Amino acid sequence: MPVKVVEEWLNSCSGCEISILNLGDTLLDLLPELNFVHIPVLIDHKYYGQTGESDVIEIPEADIGIVSGGVRNEEHKHVLEETRKKTKILIALGSCAAHGGIPAQANMYTNKDIFEKLFRGSPSTDPASDPNHPNVPQWLDSCLALDEVVEVDVTIPGCPPHPDWIAEALTALLEGKTSWSLPERSVCDTCPVIREKKSAAGPVRRCFENLEFNPEEGLDKMRCINEQGFLCLGPVTLAGCAGKEGVPRCIQARTPCRGCFGPIRKGARPMVDMMGAMSSVGLDPKTVVDRRAIMNRYIGGHGNLRPLPARPARK
Amino acid sequence: MGKIVNIQPVTRIEGHAKVAIHLDDAGNVADTRLHIQTLRGFEKFVEGRPVEEMPRIVCHICGICPWSHHLASSKAGDACFGVTPPPAAVKLRRLMQMIAYVGDKLLHFYFLAAPDFVIGPDADYAVRNVIGIVNAAPNIAKQVVHYRQLTAQILENFAGRAIHPTFSIPGGVSKPMTEAERVEMLAHALELLDFSMFTIKFAKENVFAKYIDAIKTLGVIKVGHLGLVTDDGALDFYDGKLRLMQPDGSHEDFADDEYLDHIGEHVEPWSYQKFPYAKKWGDGPAMDLDNPVGVYRTNCLARINVCDKMATPLAQAELEEFRAEFGRPTHLTLLYHYARLIELVQCAEQTVELLEDPEITSSDVRKKIEPRSGRGVGCVEAPRGTLIHDYQSDDEGLITQANLIVGTTHNNAAMNLSVKQAATELIKDGTYDQAILNKVEMAIRAYDP
Amino acid sequence: MEKEFEPKIVAFCCNWCSYLAADSAGMARNQYPSNVHIIRCMCSGMVHPNFVIDALTKGLADGVMVCGCHPGDCHYQDGNKRAESRSEAIFLMLEDFGLEQERFRLEWISASEGQKFAGVSGEMTQTLKELGPNFYKS
Ligand code: SF4
Ligand code: SF4
Ligand code: SF4
Ligand code: FES
Repeated sequence: MPVKVVEEWLNSCSGCEISILNLGDTLLDLLPELNFVHIPVLIDHKYYGQTGESDVIEIPEADIGIVSGGVRNEEHKHVLEETRKKTKILIALGSCAAHGGIPAQANMYTNKDIFEKLFRGSPSTDPASDPNHPNVPQWLDSCLALDEVVEVDVTIPGCPPHPDWIAEALTALLEGKTSWSLPERSVCDTCPVIREKKSAAGPVRRCFENLEFNPEEGLDKMRCINEQGFLCLGPVTLAGCAGKEGVPRCIQARTPCRGCFGPIRKGARPMVDMMGAMSSVGLDPKTVVDRRAIMNRYIGGHGNLRPLPARPARK
Repeated sequence: MGKIVNIQPVTRIEGHAKVAIHLDDAGNVADTRLHIQTLRGFEKFVEGRPVEEMPRIVCHICGICPWSHHLASSKAGDACFGVTPPPAAVKLRRLMQMIAYVGDKLLHFYFLAAPDFVIGPDADYAVRNVIGIVNAAPNIAKQVVHYRQLTAQILENFAGRAIHPTFSIPGGVSKPMTEAERVEMLAHALELLDFSMFTIKFAKENVFAKYIDAIKTLGVIKVGHLGLVTDDGALDFYDGKLRLMQPDGSHEDFADDEYLDHIGEHVEPWSYQKFPYAKKWGDGPAMDLDNPVGVYRTNCLARINVCDKMATPLAQAELEEFRAEFGRPTHLTLLYHYARLIELVQCAEQTVELLEDPEITSSDVRKKIEPRSGRGVGCVEAPRGTLIHDYQSDDEGLITQANLIVGTTHNNAAMNLSVKQAATELIKDGTYDQAILNKVEMAIRAYDP
Repeated sequence: MEKEFEPKIVAFCCNWCSYLAADSAGMARNQYPSNVHIIRCMCSGMVHPNFVIDALTKGLADGVMVCGCHPGDCHYQDGNKRAESRSEAIFLMLEDFGLEQERFRLEWISASEGQKFAGVSGEMTQTLKELGPNFYKS
């Protein structure tokens, strides 16, 4: 008997759904065992009946619910709560669902400031009042991770998560397991670069020029990015972006990690840990430009980012 | 008293939308609305971020076409810092863009659009989807899955991330291409070109010919078009001047950083998505079916209309065949699907061309940048339409103001009109069913929002 | 009628020095304000910055003190040095969380310095009264 699956996206970018499709041949192999009963990106099942006559949202009962994207507005919340009710195991897919993701960078600003900018502060926009209509759902106070609203059973982090982990988690659930998680390792643990535990002193470098490396040689011949004096969040980021094998993706592109897989373990504070990691190679965290936003780039949910009160300048 | 028929959510599109069809007492369409329900606020929350970080932040606007945001942002960053990336960097950016677009176009045609045509618009929703296609045409499905995955793999092997890339940075790209990488990629590119040619042939024979009646009626509206063209008028995805074409085919060209003179954005209380309009075409915008004012479209049909020619020979032959049948400009909305596949051919051909260019393996791929205050506009053609990123930075190179007009947004007014047209044609005397409502959605899906 | 704001201070005190100081301050006349809630830990070096940041950003306290042995006196050799280097991260975090730097204090207080403990506690209470409540409490 195929397992019934519901898939929903909330404050998302569709990248997580593309990552499901990137399972490619594996997806074709899994398909006979998965019965997608609701997945708006691919199947025309509607919330309120196929001709829209029902008053209550109808998300079908299913064994597995997969939800990507954070919770930004009342409708997201409603759909999420309903999905939770109808599914036995709820998977938070991707870093938006797990930690708020990039859209939770908005948590640094008040909704008022954001709407002011979008609808009255943009050079191409004819200023107007904020959209306000029953069919445009009201924003919540901040952009939330799923587990700030409902209980989540399985988290597959990443922006997007690697298809290997989607396949592994689904296979585990198909085998009757009720939980799955990535091993607690850091991106550095899976990174082949050369480390000497020290770096040139001086302020942390911005990406104004490329890293130093020889393109004909592998990563195992390149010096660690932090040790080259740039900020790389590898030390405080959960490993897994390259799937079961392979090197961390951004490092493969010869660019630093920005933490898209989120913290290594639940409740960790990557910012605090990163400051420690930086000190250990002689980098000064004080010199990171836009530190708060960069260190919380993918994890602005869970209260990590919020508007700061206006304060008088410190002496 | 009339009633409102809701389609919620609109499916097989990217994002969250709802259609509300207002029927009058007699059961005929009085009005329709396409409500875009989500809003994320990128333009605000990128304020304060370093310009060189922008390409890897704003790509998250869309996971289906992250490369277009990634590149528009890099170009805006180049302009902010006042640098011209080395030629090889531009070629590598273009190469990545073309490969990503091949994948995107295959995805849209086979996974999102084809179910309506191959399975049929009236079929039950439970089979009218890509899984239905897998069952109905397993061989083709297998190939599509394979080639789409191949595009992702090529991008990943070389540029690390296929979705939400980090490869392009103001001043150039993060690494050069080696000869070994070029040779391997070229072999794959040739396969992709073959499959692209197969796809357009397949579609012409099995889809467009068969659905010609629907094409001639569903969602048809007479509005303008916007797209990038090169100096000699060829369709280009990465660079060029903007061409804004009136419904009658006359047009005006302008540089991307002059967009504010030509394009305004209007806000309606019932949608989070704004309504861009052509400022110089009268007192717009007006989404009046009989007399639209200021409304234009973007995305493939618009590009095929505004360009004088395609940039590559096989695509040019396809364009000629297309124009012989439908003229220029054509207003038939479902032809978006056809135009998309002509573009697919150009993208595949350009992938091969770029990989055959010896300069692509040059090691000079990045100019050093220095922070400064400035303004930069970056414009590319995203799969879903003209994408404009406009940044201002302070002395430290931090964003002080960002304005983004993304592909789908340009089409907002046009999509609303197409929905209205389709619903008005299809719903009479209060009679409608699943199949009719799906056809209304097809008018939206053509735009690939 | 509005009551005067009474700040809540959490003080992490190391077992070997500062805790004894606090204890003796309590026994002797050197009363310290009841605003201070003491958490005894083995060494100031064991106070992970997360504890401090959590106490503040979860709205549990208006201010946090970490108190340890004087330099050179740490029972575990260099626990207090560690505390000192961590405090830099704490101050940066305060900045990033929009909290005033005065909400955190690192102090070296030996077992015999009950008076110092009382003094520091009093000062901090006064400072926090002036600053007002931690905005994460709301
Ligand atoms: S986690 Fe990343 S890929 Fe997934 S929805 Fe969020 S931004 Fe998109
Ligand atoms: S800091 Fe970055 S470059 Fe260095 S080992 Fe970790 S992930 Fe690799
Ligand atoms: S290197 Fe870091 S930011 Fe890049 S994909 Fe991996 S986890 Fe994500
Ligand atoms: S034991 Fe007191 S500070 Fe280490």
